[in-house]
Amino acid sequence: MNQTTTAVRATGLTRIYGSEDAKVTALSDVSVEFERGQFTAIMGPSGSGKSTLMHCIAGLDQVTSGKVWIGGTELTVLNDDQLTALRREKVGFIFQAFNLLPTLTALENITLPLDLAGRRPDRSVVDRVVDTLLLRDRLDHRPSQLSGGQQQRVACARALVTEPEVVFADEPTGALDSQTSAELLGFLRQSVDDFGQTVVMVTHDPTAAAYADRVLFLADGRLVGDLTAPTADTVLDWMKSMERAAH
Amino acid sequence: MLRAALRELLAHKGRMAMTIIAIALGAAALVASWVVSESISHTLVSVDTRTDVGVSVQSLHQDAALTPADRDRLAALPGVRRATGVILGRAGVVSPDGKLASAATSMDLAGTNADDTGRMVTVAGRAPSAAGEVAINADVARRNDLAVGMPVRVLVADGRSEAATVVGTFDYRTLGSPSTTDWGSDTVPTVAFDAQSAPGLLGDRFSRIELATAPGTDLKRLRDAAERVVGGVSYRISTGPELARDARERATSDIWDLRFTLLPFAVLAMLVGMTVISNTFTILVTQRIRQFALLRAVGASRRQVRRTVLAEAVVLGLAGGTVGVLLGVALGPGVIAITRPADDIDYTVPPLAVLLGYLAGVLITVVAAYGSARRASAVSPMAALRSDATVPRDIRTRNVLLGVGALLVSAALVFATRNPNAGTASRIVAIGGAVLGGLGVLLLTPTIAGAVLGTVMRLMRQGGRPALRFGVRNAARDPRRTASTASAITVGLALICAFASLSASLSTLIGSTTRATVPTTTTVLQPGGGNAATLDPADLTTARHLPGVSAAAASRDMLVDVDYPGGTTKRRASAIEPEALNGLLTPHITGGSGDLRKGFVIAQNQADMLGLGVGDPVTLQITPQTSVRSRVAGVYEATELQSSIYFDVSLAPTSLRESVSVIYLTGPDPAAVRARAEAAFRDRPDVTVTDQQGLVAQGVEAQRLAFVVMYAMFAVALIIALFGVVNTLALSVSERGREIGMARAVGASRSLIRRSIRVESLVISLLGALLGVLVGVAVGTVMQHAMLGQRLSAVTIPLDLIGAGLAAIVLAAMLAAAWPARRAASTAALSAIAE
Repeated sequence: MNQTTTAVRATGLTRIYGSEDAKVTALSDVSVEFERGQFTAIMGPSGSGKSTLMHCIAGLDQVTSGKVWIGGTELTVLNDDQLTALRREKVGFIFQAFNLLPTLTALENITLPLDLAGRRPDRSVVDRVVDTLLLRDRLDHRPSQLSGGQQQRVACARALVTEPEVVFADEPTGALDSQTSAELLGFLRQSVDDFGQTVVMVTHDPTAAAYADRVLFLADGRLVGDLTAPTADTVLDWMKSMERAAH
Repeated sequence: MLRAALRELLAHKGRMAMTIIAIALGAAALVASWVVSESISHTLVSVDTRTDVGVSVQSLHQDAALTPADRDRLAALPGVRRATGVILGRAGVVSPDGKLASAATSMDLAGTNADDTGRMVTVAGRAPSAAGEVAINADVARRNDLAVGMPVRVLVADGRSEAATVVGTFDYRTLGSPSTTDWGSDTVPTVAFDAQSAPGLLGDRFSRIELATAPGTDLKRLRDAAERVVGGVSYRISTGPELARDARERATSDIWDLRFTLLPFAVLAMLVGMTVISNTFTILVTQRIRQFALLRAVGASRRQVRRTVLAEAVVLGLAGGTVGVLLGVALGPGVIAITRPADDIDYTVPPLAVLLGYLAGVLITVVAAYGSARRASAVSPMAALRSDATVPRDIRTRNVLLGVGALLVSAALVFATRNPNAGTASRIVAIGGAVLGGLGVLLLTPTIAGAVLGTVMRLMRQGGRPALRFGVRNAARDPRRTASTASAITVGLALICAFASLSASLSTLIGSTTRATVPTTTTVLQPGGGNAATLDPADLTTARHLPGVSAAAASRDMLVDVDYPGGTTKRRASAIEPEALNGLLTPHITGGSGDLRKGFVIAQNQADMLGLGVGDPVTLQITPQTSVRSRVAGVYEATELQSSIYFDVSLAPTSLRESVSVIYLTGPDPAAVRARAEAAFRDRPDVTVTDQQGLVAQGVEAQRLAFVVMYAMFAVALIIALFGVVNTLALSVSERGREIGMARAVGASRSLIRRSIRVESLVISLLGALLGVLVGVAVGTVMQHAMLGQRLSAVTIPLDLIGAGLAAIVLAAMLAAAWPARRAASTAALSAIAE
């Protein structure tokens, strides 16, 4: 396994919720790798475990068994402070509900992770991210003064500004219309192509998944498909065949 | 991070203002009490101590007053430049309108001779130099509107009076520390006569002889020499420096007494403030879980989140501290006016008070916010990704165990100290136990709320209107949120009930002994003006011979040392004619007999406290030379405030027999006796004619400060309670915009929302109020036991006051909910989705 080409790796991931009498197996023995500089989409019906998979590999959720590495670091042995530091240094998040701090300006929201780490922002990185996302003239605005698409771009910039090992996006276009969705996905694509960023995105939208280099399909907590160079049509076909298989 | 926190604060002005006011109330109480005690102490200490006296020879008892011959012999001692005798005699100033001027000093000790020792400093006019001239204490003059040049009448011993003109007013510099029990100690006189007239009017014997010395005199040697001239147990001979030291020590101990009187206010206000603040922070944190989760997700450590909340607490604490300090400094003069109406106090604000105010503001806020900060930092970063995020709850079982434990320990402590004759330490333990019990109930409130509201909800499942069901279900669904709102009400109402019970018990107590002991048919003659004043023995003779009087007796009250099998203590004793206890006064004898010829008749609670029973030997040490030895003949029912040890007046020394405290009269026609007595003493403003009712009223007046303190506590409790209710209800409704929007979206009408929030507030406040009444009455019962020395069962529960408090709180809760209910009802259905 080549450390230099793998950004995130998980082996034998199992996540069981609830106690003895009410067990729910959200993930069952999933092993997966995400290449550095690749844009991967995770798809699957509701309850397939796609969000749980993302939470586990992002270090947000505890795993029941299995191991996860981000870069060369094994997550499952870290304590909360170490996990926090890892999230700060190596992981960026984009959420469905933009999740900006309402009292901070766009720029302050973007640099928040650096602020938390006590690091001075690298001007050139900030400039590059801000310019890529076309936020230059919005930096002094509060979230309430921005449109949904602009807010999500700010969230996107916040995820990219630490130059993380991997950016996790959880249904990032879920609250956007098709026009702004396309813009945002374009920016994510651009960050992968131009800066070699690794992006892992959970989505249920075939059009969004088509922006990715690779699509993973989950069903009932198991990895059931792996599609490279997807198009909206091939993704849709996959989904249909999964539905048929389920019936 | 910090920036985000501060902006977060500024973004919610109402919330911030509520918290700041809560903090400010606590800090203000602390600052005010500290400033007041410092100001008073500063004034007390800055009273200039006399250093112009070499040695003072003081008589401890009127019977052992010093003579001019003593003075001459002391003057002849080596090193003595001059010996001055200080006369102490009965004097009362009657102002031109015929009223006896009120004075802090008892009339018996209010007259003196003018001299040039420097103890009197002329403020206006001059010192009296001829017969018919007097100088008056400047405070007394100011308080009674007496001025230089006014004609006054001065009442002196034996019912005589003297016409005089006020020629000057003076300030008095006391020597040493005045004592209420030693006769010759330097009390502040009201009237000074000229040196020639004084012996004729006040008596020619001295209470004290001051020796002025030549420079370089060995004062200790002079003191020993003076002891050889007038030695013995009846005299206290001290050097000037010793007296100055006494005075300073006395002032210091006064200051601490005062601090201990005022600090409980501050502690109370701060504790209650703390519950309000911690409630506020709980709600603040609940409202912002998603934010904290987001911070955690983008890399904030638990410590950083905790610090954010604590930083907010510090900022609020500083702001609240500032308001509190200003408020406290502003309130100070008012507090002084209430607690020390007679004194002229220099108002000073020591820097320490300001510092303490800030410290308290920041400290109580940080302590109150700490729990919330910890809960905030425990938020999982996952919560940012969910819409139904909740703050992780503490383990409830731990709180339940702690609560039950606190209740059990509290019950054990109160039970162990239930005996009314217990000492101070166990009384403090009893109060501590009661407070612990209250805390236990607060810890159990979520459990109680869950159990009670769950039951109510089940009972209502079938019936009830939708608003009612909706409201109760909301209250029952999150017992912790309900409990935190309810506990603000519980604390407030508990305080109200506790102080209402205490003050009701006190007023019952004050009246009960008097009503039982003094029958309505008895007319009472009392000395007017000044505490511990006495009547003239001639007055008893006059009263006894009034037509229609069939029985007359006089009580001579004094503080004596009581030697009993268990030790020695100071107690009040009354010498009275034995026949007086048989109709003129009607003490309720609970053991033995009321016959003073057989021995002492002692109050039940004194007997309890000293562990005495009928037949036990007791010695009353009345003066150093005189003691009365006898046995307990009977025990009568009385309360701590008005208890005495009665003994036969024929056993008392002559001087005491003549210092009459109260005269009791009765006759076949009590109304006629009273009318005759009033007529006979019409020209004697120093004699007050009254009866049982008057005595009860005086008892209440004597405890005025206690009542003022209790009503002030009552007011503080009420304000803080109302405030807490408004704060928590407003916040608990405003935290639920989404939830209410959701209800609107699925078809709840505005009026349904409004009504259900009203129901919810009503349910929560009723629950809190009922718990508050329970806790308050229980704590009040223990307080009256511990503070008034009564049995636990003797509590008076003022149902009217408690009812009014309950109604006020519930009404306030309803009003407090009105605004958030209206706002909630106007929530757009969209807000649930738009988030």
